[in-house]
Amino acid sequence: MNVLIIEDEQSLAKEIALFLKSENILCDLAFTGREASEKIAVNLYDFVLLDLGLPDYDGLDLISEAKRSGSDTSFIIITARGAVEDKVKGLDLGADDYLAKPFALIELLSRIHAVARRKFNIGNQDVNLGDFVMQVQSRRLICNEEEVDLTKKEYDLLQYLVFNHDKVLTRQQLYEHIWGNILDDQYDSNFIDVHIKNLRKKLNNHALTPWLETVRGVGYRVTLSK
Amino acid sequence: MIRLKTRLALFNLLSKAGVTLLFIVILPWIIERINLRQVDNDLVGKREKIIGLIGRIGIEPFISSDTTVAFGSYNILKEEFISLEKTNLKEELNDIEVSDRIIENEEISYRVLNYTIMVDGQKYLLEIGRSLNSIQFAQKNINRVILVFLILIILITFITDLQYNRFLLRPLEKITDKLKGISDPSSFDRTPVKTLTSDFYRLDNALRELMKNIGELFEKEKEITDNVSHELLTPVSVLRSKLENLLMREDVDPELTGKIEESLKTLYRLQSLVNSLLFIARIESRQYLLEDSFNTNEVLREIISEIKPVAEDKGIVINEEINQDFQLKDANKSLIFSMFSNVINNAIKNTSNGGKVTIKSLISGNYFNVTISDNGRGMSKEQIDKLFSRFKAKMSSQDDGTGIGLAIAKTIADFHKIVVSVTSEIDKGTSFSFIFPGNS
Repeated sequence: MNVLIIEDEQSLAKEIALFLKSENILCDLAFTGREASEKIAVNLYDFVLLDLGLPDYDGLDLISEAKRSGSDTSFIIITARGAVEDKVKGLDLGADDYLAKPFALIELLSRIHAVARRKFNIGNQDVNLGDFVMQVQSRRLICNEEEVDLTKKEYDLLQYLVFNHDKVLTRQQLYEHIWGNILDDQYDSNFIDVHIKNLRKKLNNHALTPWLETVRGVGYRVTLSK
Repeated sequence: MIRLKTRLALFNLLSKAGVTLLFIVILPWIIERINLRQVDNDLVGKREKIIGLIGRIGIEPFISSDTTVAFGSYNILKEEFISLEKTNLKEELNDIEVSDRIIENEEISYRVLNYTIMVDGQKYLLEIGRSLNSIQFAQKNINRVILVFLILIILITFITDLQYNRFLLRPLEKITDKLKGISDPSSFDRTPVKTLTSDFYRLDNALRELMKNIGELFEKEKEITDNVSHELLTPVSVLRSKLENLLMREDVDPELTGKIEESLKTLYRLQSLVNSLLFIARIESRQYLLEDSFNTNEVLREIISEIKPVAEDKGIVINEEINQDFQLKDANKSLIFSMFSNVINNAIKNTSNGGKVTIKSLISGNYFNVTISDNGRGMSKEQIDKLFSRFKAKMSSQDDGTGIGLAIAKTIADFHKIVVSVTSEIDKGTSFSFIFPGNS
């Protein structure tokens, strides 16, 4: 996969690139709108991460330009302007997702994967978790041919951990992913701990879950190799 | 409330009817007066003629001195009569009156002039009469014509006035129509209203100018929040990515990892604070649309189902008394969700193990009412007063979060014109009440 990162804040662009490269994604950088416009015209990218607050360009124009030239690049808008209508406009123009700054790098990665799953049907195969099987297509968790009864939020939480397996996810990252659009001051509470506890209890009614670990003081991790 | 157009038409009709009624009542009387005066003048003229005649030819041709006592004459149709007779009356008579006379067995109303004259030492009474029949007949006709005429005039002027008023007030109606249901200046129709009336022209101009200015102010405020948002959140974003990347490196020693974790937590707090403040600013500059229509109880149930595990973990019972459904219109669902979520979270936060949080919703009269109450630590009056202010609400140092949640809830409530009231007693608990405007 190759990604173009359009971001006028150079240090942020470099951090994103550093992270994506560690996930084996090829990255190209553009710090201005003009530079970005040229790169999109010349190269074929699977993804464009687009910052809307460019000094020389209205970021949304880049989407229309690309769509007009017949490109089927997926756009993910990243912006710190946070204007409500930017999101609507961006998605209307054909952007695939929208992410408000500051975001967790893990969240960015999972958005990229989600678009890839949706558009190219990549990564939709079932995942084996010890005695459990996660059926990604139908959003179900099966244990010994029996479905585990999970709420939507519990499934989302588990899937997020599974898709980012072998990485420790902090409570903040999990909270933002599940309840990201609700603004309140619960980020430091035990919200996630309680939900994981409940999730574990439900799973343990069927089988043991050594693959779901609590990492002391940090967060949670799903390990697929075990 | 009555519309201006209707009011004008109503007043118009009433005033015209009043004037006409007055005319119908006094006009016959006036005409009668005029007619009688004319008759009287006529009678006086005739009297002068007869007196002149007597002066010239003497009284003999009418009454011979010994034999006859009286003279009388009337025309065939009995419209007029003259009588002259000797009289012994002491006083002088000179008046005009209406009296009924019987002539050939027929009673007829006459206007009669009575006059006494002295001729050759003998007093005579002269009576000249004029029948009132013909006058009354003419008067009836005149009255009828006037009545029909007046009614016609009223009808015609009323209809033309009505049409003209309607035409005249059309621009005003257009202006009020434009203002109807406007919640923010951007939805105001800026095209000028066509009018020849300078008052409406000025009103329309002033309104459009006002809307333009308010719209520009909103726009400016939006631009400011967008810029502030960008300026504040970009550095946070950079820091966050750097720290997250650092955490993922395997060569970092555990002590450093702890420090990075702590820095990240502090950064989260900053991020949450900035986001909350921007959130409030965006609601206040009306950047959220009020276009959703949804069942408020469903939102409450969704929040409860999410928060229940947290409450249970703390040993708090959530008491759900949600019964009557209420369809909220012209609202923003995610904002309402955030509002309730913040208040319910606050209730759970301020309630200790074994406590109870009650969420109640009901429709009373025209209003939908949601109450969120707890039996937690409660608040003093001073604490209630600063409950919704942005930074003062923090209850204690071990309190999690920025303490801005209730300020957010209040801002959302104000934006939706929801009335929030708080009652609290120390060690007894706190109760938040939301009263929704009755638009179901």
